[in-house]
Amino acid sequence: MATHALGLFETPSEALAAAGELKGSGFGQPSVISPIPLETAEEVLGEKKSVIKRFTFFGALFGGIGGFTLAAGTAVLYLHPTGGRPIITWPPFLIITYEMTILFGILATVLGFLISARFPAFRERIYVPEAAVDKFAVAIPCEDQGVFEKAAAILRGAGAEEVREVTA
Amino acid sequence: MPSDARPQELSYADVNRDVVRSLVKTGSKYYITLACSVTVMLACFFFPWFYQLYYGIGAAGVNHPSVWGTYLASFIFWIGLSHSGTLLSCVLHITNSEWRKAMYRSAEAMTLFSLCVAAMMVMVHVGRPWFIHWAVPYPNQMEMWPNFRSPLMFDVMAITTYLTGSSIFIYMGSIPDFAAVRDQTTGWRHHMYVLLSLGWRGTDLEWHRLRWAYTFLAVLIIPLAVSVHSIVSWDFALSIVPALHQTIFAPYFVVGAIYSGTAGIVTVMYFLRKYMNFEQYITRVHFDNLGKLLLVLSLIWTYINIVEIFTGWYSGTSTEGEAIRYRLFGYYAPLYWEMILFCAVAPLLMISRRFRTSFVPMLVLSILINIGMYTERFLIVGTSLSRQYLPDAWGLYVPSLVELSILVGSVAMFITLFLIFVKIFPSVSIYEVKETLPEPEPEPTRTSGEPEWQPTH
Repeated sequence: MATHALGLFETPSEALAAAGELKGSGFGQPSVISPIPLETAEEVLGEKKSVIKRFTFFGALFGGIGGFTLAAGTAVLYLHPTGGRPIITWPPFLIITYEMTILFGILATVLGFLISARFPAFRERIYVPEAAVDKFAVAIPCEDQGVFEKAAAILRGAGAEEVREVTA
Repeated sequence: MPSDARPQELSYADVNRDVVRSLVKTGSKYYITLACSVTVMLACFFFPWFYQLYYGIGAAGVNHPSVWGTYLASFIFWIGLSHSGTLLSCVLHITNSEWRKAMYRSAEAMTLFSLCVAAMMVMVHVGRPWFIHWAVPYPNQMEMWPNFRSPLMFDVMAITTYLTGSSIFIYMGSIPDFAAVRDQTTGWRHHMYVLLSLGWRGTDLEWHRLRWAYTFLAVLIIPLAVSVHSIVSWDFALSIVPALHQTIFAPYFVVGAIYSGTAGIVTVMYFLRKYMNFEQYITRVHFDNLGKLLLVLSLIWTYINIVEIFTGWYSGTSTEGEAIRYRLFGYYAPLYWEMILFCAVAPLLMISRRFRTSFVPMLVLSILINIGMYTERFLIVGTSLSRQYLPDAWGLYVPSLVELSILVGSVAMFITLFLIFVKIFPSVSIYEVKETLPEPEPEPTRTSGEPEWQPTH
């Protein structure tokens, strides 16, 4: 359980400015909680790298290989010669491969999203109901009361209409 | 005209309030409509289906040579209707289109429920649905496996993938909205949204991950959607039946699907706007843009129809020639010309901006287009099989009462599913509509974060 200083802002620009100031003042990595995605958040908080693309790629690869193996393997297991055509028939089997590539690409993307965004949440985390409506919150972990006071001063100075001490 | 403009005067809290209200405030009209649609679904879909299961597939009008009837026509129709929702949403998401944001959720739901109804039509068509698991590749003691060279197995794989992809796409895009609704509801709804929102908070990390995952899904789903209706077309085109065995069938089906799906979106938008009080969100701009899209699609669809006839004529074969003659001037000719009137001629009205921005005319036209598109599917299935190579094998197909009833019941099933959807999923995307609004201004008179409307149930 860690204590956080949480500032509530009216506008996204104020919240991002506060987050940037906290980061620049040597505090840890602040979180910005907002009702909409903020396009400029990465400019202030630093670029985020996502592993989702790797999940998508390897999921699609697994699906493609699995799809072709399924179609070709079952054709070999249960021989069904038709009109002298080869048992492993490329054009129709590529369609199965294509569909399975996309299916597993989608499933792996979801898995990547859940893991990298840490969902589902099984324990209490910092949350501000107002940030699902029209407020923008900035949260920063604080080791002790002195750090909290400093962080609170920065948040108020940046225009926070309210600063809370939350534990999660 | 207040509804002409984007909702500039709306605040973020207004969006939350309006969408939550659409979920929790339910009037008697809703319950009456739901009761009617459930009754029609039970009486016109499930009862005739059980009757057919009890007496056998002979209860349907299909027989030699027309072994495919309205069940398959309905299957193609519902798969087609499913096309515009998720496909259009994905394309507009990637192109960062603003006007998508208020309407895509309902369009995606249309996709999902159309696919469910299409899957039910397959169940009805196969006659013995209790053997449907034979289409699934699983090890069994007979050591038999599905034939993956068959277009029917392509169908199984493609539709399963599309249904999975569409369900995930609509769910993933709704997670932030479930969280927003979670905080403003009580009782069982609150518990449901707690589970559905997975613990969403709206942190910069969560938004970042959602943006990436959502974009990847969109990129994966666009080619998938195109493949699904191409594959449905190959169910027919890979047979060597005159009028079906044509290379243009895949683009023909894909364009037809997007066309009927877009018309379906117009219909759904009209009713959402009018009966869920979304006048400020679904505006004339949306109808104007959808109208332009419909107009372009109708022109492409008309072109492909002309090419189809030209190709058949140019082939010089007697069977293709007969198939075209029969379609244009034979027993089913009135249906063909009705289709041309509804899908090629009437949509030309949308050249006029005044028409495109008029709600009721657009609703009527969208319904006419879908009647025409259903007719197209019926003609593909019905006229081709009844006029094959040998004249002594020619025949006529007329749907039985059981088939017609199930067609009506399938519409009621779609309406029922959609009515349930609008009370569970936020029909308008809360966070994406907010993105189109100006940045919030300080409001000194209001308590921080307190929404203007509170749940009272």
